[in-house]
Amino acid sequence: MTNVIANPYTSADWNVLYPLGIVALGALAVLFVDLVSKKHAPKWLTLALAGLSVIGAGVVCAQQYGQNYDAFGGGFLLGGFAVVMQELVLVAALGTLALYATLGDEERMAGTIALLLWSTCGAMLMAGAANLMTIFLGLELLSLALYCLCGLRENAIAREAALKYLILSSTASGFLLYGMALLFGSTGSVALAAIAQAPVAGNPMLWIGCALFLVGLAFKLSLVPFHAWSPDVYEGAPLPVTAFMSVATKVGALAVLARFVDAAVPSAGAEKLLLPLWIIAGISMVAGNLGMLAQHDLKRLLAFSGIAQVGYIVAALAGGGALGLRYALFYLIAYTFMNLGAFAVATAISTQAEEGSRLANYHGLAQRRPFLAAAMTFFMLALAGMPPTAGFVGKILILSANVGAGYAWLAGLLILGTAISLYAYAKIIRAMYVRDEHAHAREAHPVSPLAWASAAVCAAVLLVLTFYPLAPSNVIPLVR
Amino acid sequence: MSALPVSLASYIGLSAVMFFVGVAGVVLRRNPLVMLMSIELMFNAANIVFVAFARAWMHNAGHIFAFLVITVAAAEAAIGLAIVVAVFRSAKNVDVDEVALLKG
Repeated sequence: MTNVIANPYTSADWNVLYPLGIVALGALAVLFVDLVSKKHAPKWLTLALAGLSVIGAGVVCAQQYGQNYDAFGGGFLLGGFAVVMQELVLVAALGTLALYATLGDEERMAGTIALLLWSTCGAMLMAGAANLMTIFLGLELLSLALYCLCGLRENAIAREAALKYLILSSTASGFLLYGMALLFGSTGSVALAAIAQAPVAGNPMLWIGCALFLVGLAFKLSLVPFHAWSPDVYEGAPLPVTAFMSVATKVGALAVLARFVDAAVPSAGAEKLLLPLWIIAGISMVAGNLGMLAQHDLKRLLAFSGIAQVGYIVAALAGGGALGLRYALFYLIAYTFMNLGAFAVATAISTQAEEGSRLANYHGLAQRRPFLAAAMTFFMLALAGMPPTAGFVGKILILSANVGAGYAWLAGLLILGTAISLYAYAKIIRAMYVRDEHAHAREAHPVSPLAWASAAVCAAVLLVLTFYPLAPSNVIPLVR
Repeated sequence: MSALPVSLASYIGLSAVMFFVGVAGVVLRRNPLVMLMSIELMFNAANIVFVAFARAWMHNAGHIFAFLVITVAAAEAAIGLAIVVAVFRSAKNVDVDEVALLKG
């Protein structure tokens, strides 16, 4: 050990983290401006700073596309996968900023936005994380900021949701961490690649470690036996936070899961080890969609919908190999825009006093706001996987991957889940298009242009995505 | 006085016991403060494994990971206590069975 003092990392390592750094600096800038302002920083300035940093990070990140580099001794893998995942997280952050522009109050804006940006950093770190330490760091950065965001409203329900989220999610982190400790113990390394090379036979610690790690991740993804927290937390959290949570946490955790399945699971025992994961995904598809049927709140409905959607995405990974990963990624991109779009519509019909998330708010929406009703219909059809949307294409791709890899039962469950979900999504569409005698009684407050524009952009992207991947082999040229 | 050699298995056994005590605490106790403490136990159980194996494998990644976990656990406790205080202020109660506006 002669060069203990020497810095092992070069500037190339740090360059990889530029997008993350820009977002983190943006958070600091937001706080600083608030500090030097007389009372509070003006809302538009806070949002503009945050928006600039997110867009800047997106641009820098896009320029990294096509590069491959193992930064920090394999701690953060730069590649097509990491870039696409980071861009998705940034899109979620940008969409959330647009929702905050409509709903947030100026007094708490700076702190809220700073937490949001740090949470974004966490999810971005997870997108490229390839060793246990960076995974844990990213996950905790994402989660810790989200606990605060959930509880920021002066409202008993929001705080209860924060407490619930904190305790259940931290317990999941405990499982994940203990799994990581056992994985380190059984392999002597924190790198995911080292886990794949460890001997499988007669190594119970590796099995238990993998199992605990996957349980922790399933919890974060709210797959079925570990899903009970998500409807409650979604319902209690402020609308923009729910929107962010429903996309960014899932993108981050799915990035880790995909990388773990792809790189870390020893190929000798992969079949046996991962089968429970596919079963959980299958159950999630059916149970999540069944749970949707009884809901009367859009946030709860989308929470159950999210459980099922993650089930579809994990099932795509069961297809195995690069193709399954690509299909999962395609569906994840579509899911991001569907969900953000639905939340944008909900925000557009919200007032400062009341979030427009109860199903009753949608009665007769088509009479009052024909564009918003049409956009919502489009997002619901996309979530249900109906033809003229990217959701349909995504589901077809996943089905083909499942059948091709010999998981026909997963494909069957996917179709069953879709059939069930149609009824729940149709409930919202029906509510919007049914004539409402009280339509005039509901005062027509002006719709926020930003929320309107977000919904329009999401719908446009979904439409474009529908026609893009017609040749599945070039869905997204994933380098790794 | 000679140091008794402590085998690796003992460390793992201790940490497994700690981990299950932590899980049982989260599942069985209804006071959020006790639940937070139980979560700390789970984190520290992992720390013991990390440090024990860092020595066994002669690899300092385990030590670094343990420090990372200690830092994160401190942040988690700070945020957790803040949220418990906020819940108490709005509900005047910190028993999770009584804090049940959201029926899940």
